[in-house]
Amino acid sequence: MVLLAALPMAGAAAEGSAASPPDGYPRSYARIIEAAQKEGSLSVYATTDGSEVAALIREFEAAYPGVRVEYADQNSTEIYSRFIAEVAAGQGTADLVWSSAMDLQVKLINDGYAQAYASPEKPNLPEWAVWKNEGYGITAEPLVIAYNKRLMPPEDVPRTRADLETLLRTKKDFYRGKVASYDPERSGVGFLFISQDVQISRDTWKLVEAMAGTDPRLYTSTGAMMERLVSGEHLLVYNLIGSYALQRQKKDPSLGIIFPADFTLTMSRIAFIPTEARHPNAAKLFLDFMLSKRGQSLLAQRDMAPVRTDLGEIGVPRPPAEQVRPIRVGPQLLANLDQLTRLRFLKQWKRIVRGL
Amino acid sequence: MNRSMRIGVVLTSAVAILAPLLLVVWQSFLDGPFFARNVHPTLGAYQFVYEDPDFYRALGNSVLVAAGMACIAVPVGALLAFLLVRTDLPGRRWVEPLLLTPMFISSIVLAFGFVVAFGPVGIVSLWVKGWLGRLPWDIYSRSSLILIAGLTHAPHVFLYAATALRSLGSDVEEAARSTGAGPLRVALTVSLPMIRPALMYSAVLVFFLGFELFGLPLVLADPKGELVLATYLYKLTNVLGIPSYQLMAVVVMVIVAIALPLVWLQNRLLQGANRYVSIKGKAQASRPISLGMWRWPAVAFIALWLLMVVVAPVCALVLRAFLSSWGEGVNIAGALTLEHFRELAHYPNLVRGITNTLVLAAVGGAASVVVYTLINLAVHRWHSRWARVIDYLVLLPRAMPGIVAGLAIFWVFLFVPPLQPFRQTLLAMWVAYTLVWMAYGMRLVSGSLLQLGPELEEAGRVVGASPARVSLDVTLPLIRAGLVGSWLLVFVTFVREYSTGVYLLGPGTEVIGSLLVSLWAAGAVDTVVALSAINIAMVAGGLLLITLFGRKAHHG
Repeated sequence: MVLLAALPMAGAAAEGSAASPPDGYPRSYARIIEAAQKEGSLSVYATTDGSEVAALIREFEAAYPGVRVEYADQNSTEIYSRFIAEVAAGQGTADLVWSSAMDLQVKLINDGYAQAYASPEKPNLPEWAVWKNEGYGITAEPLVIAYNKRLMPPEDVPRTRADLETLLRTKKDFYRGKVASYDPERSGVGFLFISQDVQISRDTWKLVEAMAGTDPRLYTSTGAMMERLVSGEHLLVYNLIGSYALQRQKKDPSLGIIFPADFTLTMSRIAFIPTEARHPNAAKLFLDFMLSKRGQSLLAQRDMAPVRTDLGEIGVPRPPAEQVRPIRVGPQLLANLDQLTRLRFLKQWKRIVRGL
Repeated sequence: MNRSMRIGVVLTSAVAILAPLLLVVWQSFLDGPFFARNVHPTLGAYQFVYEDPDFYRALGNSVLVAAGMACIAVPVGALLAFLLVRTDLPGRRWVEPLLLTPMFISSIVLAFGFVVAFGPVGIVSLWVKGWLGRLPWDIYSRSSLILIAGLTHAPHVFLYAATALRSLGSDVEEAARSTGAGPLRVALTVSLPMIRPALMYSAVLVFFLGFELFGLPLVLADPKGELVLATYLYKLTNVLGIPSYQLMAVVVMVIVAIALPLVWLQNRLLQGANRYVSIKGKAQASRPISLGMWRWPAVAFIALWLLMVVVAPVCALVLRAFLSSWGEGVNIAGALTLEHFRELAHYPNLVRGITNTLVLAAVGGAASVVVYTLINLAVHRWHSRWARVIDYLVLLPRAMPGIVAGLAIFWVFLFVPPLQPFRQTLLAMWVAYTLVWMAYGMRLVSGSLLQLGPELEEAGRVVGASPARVSLDVTLPLIRAGLVGSWLLVFVTFVREYSTGVYLLGPGTEVIGSLLVSLWAAGAVDTVVALSAINIAMVAGGLLLITLFGRKAHHG
């Protein structure tokens, strides 16, 4: 009996200790924790697979007992459609939206769907990763050139885009039908990546031209692309998301990964707390937890490279800092969604790749 | 059913069908999401689509694929049904469940199975290449797409044809046999013509499915950028950066515009359906036709079909689930692993997804059949304009590609206040599934009803039974086999459905199909194949049970 009676007290003690803010956080943070525990739960709409964040969610729920995470993963277009419709219907929506479609996220923030929150983790983040205290880049994942180690001649392996361009021009026939990338016409991230490449270097068009000469295969799905690379149907994929490639490489060593030495673009999964969030405090806790050292290293364990640079060795291969070009979380991404700019870009792309 | 009940059922179904569709119609004439502020009426979306050369290419491809598919699926499916239902083919009881497997597997996964088996570095392909020195086929060509789509849709035709054949007396066939006709001749001139309504229904539906085809072209035509209407929608979603509902709505309008004249044509063709009545007042057990020397060609035909459509892709897929890598230059034996299955343990939604899928398919499927039967009974032997309206209505939801239908139904649940509490429940998912697959279920049930002679029901009425009594005591028991068949069809359809549910999906309402799609997009192919392998095993178990029960019922 004594033991049984002691149990709830132990629970209360755990809750009590959880209510104290993490190290380095302002003391006022305790109020957010308390409010979040009253809210009891938060709903997250995300593009990241539930299995990838299972450990993160488990630790979060253990750190803040009484706050439960309802996590729904969908693709970025679905999240966008669902979110704007739910807000319009006034029916309540997610408490945190976390998506890899950077431009769509920035548009939502720009359209006034996000609320401002100055995260105590903000000083630890690079300046490019935060916009208006509303949008937070959670990861910094490199875009890589992936290749099939089994079948691609080692002397062919390019280190830079210029290498790749030369290779595809000189061994055009060997690489015919063997090169793959995202289709910017049908894939939002595909458009984002290639248009960012062009912004950094106009030489990108020359690379696209060289790829076009090999009759490239263009995909909308990362899975399909990676599968066909590893099976040997393709030899090389340009602009693959590094986190997926790194994860696959652990199981299948025939996948080769290059961080292009001229520059390595990094993309980020952006999170924001909607104005309409019904559990804003719980959302704040979760956002901070994702940005905390612990949260970032848990993401890194699943090969999502952290946005923080103060973690030291984290076990995810990363390109040297000086060659990294992050896609900034900010209003310049809105240009991507400008109809005329977009259609003009695609027209140029089609003219080169499809000869249209 | 009496007249007011009939009208009530027709009106209720009309509202349920039209609400999402009208939203889409409305959306097609606006310049932004219908729920946004500052949207204006415009024809801009129509103009955009009609000026887009890709649209015409996609439309042309869709017509070609749909027609080609129907041309392959109908004869193959009909022949399979004849062989399995009407003849003494050896092992036919065991073949039937195998035959249905392509329907159980999500088409994205099945298409992927084809790539692993017959793709450029596929398991079968490498073997053939070793023999011939080159690969005689290209799985990514349009003709491969048509062939694969046609062959994998043969089971749909099979189910319709088999249901119709089962309720056919064998007296006419025996008469033909006694005058010396061979089994093939009996099939072509007697049995199959007798089930012409069922075949025509399935032909039209397969043709529609061709327009809605998504998974196969996504996987098989994706790399070469060949679009069909449903994958063209994908492009529209993205071409302006943000989802452009008005453009998607225009594509739906195009499909509806193609659908309506087809339904009209179908109705014209079926006006003589009375000629096919075959369950009459006299009970008669049917006897199988002896195949004689046609036995082995028939076995070879089925074996070849099974090998191509079921065994090769399914085995390739299951094998892939146990491989860390495959393809050119890989030693399969050295790549075997159980790792992918271990990883599934990291997937917290999995168990819920499996349970939800089973509940939705089994319980929801049965409830859907009840709905379909109710609507069918409401218009059964009712020569009224109301009844004809339903013919057109039920096909309309099918004219919307699953993803659009799902979005429209999501909007209805979101913006119609009385429905709001149900939005994030399996009930909403069930409504969506029931609506989207209404054409299927309706046709299957009506296929059985069409073969029922009116005199049995008249007999009921003569002895003074009310219309409801007649339905319950006469009509329903007589089409019981057909109803069980439709439930099976609806069950399999719901198990593999993936696109309809994506917007209604939430924590607690996950279904396997939608999980597979999101995993596939995120590159987790290993998890996809492991999950599919488990799914296939579950399905195989279910099929085995059905077969055993079927046999028990047969002998009991």
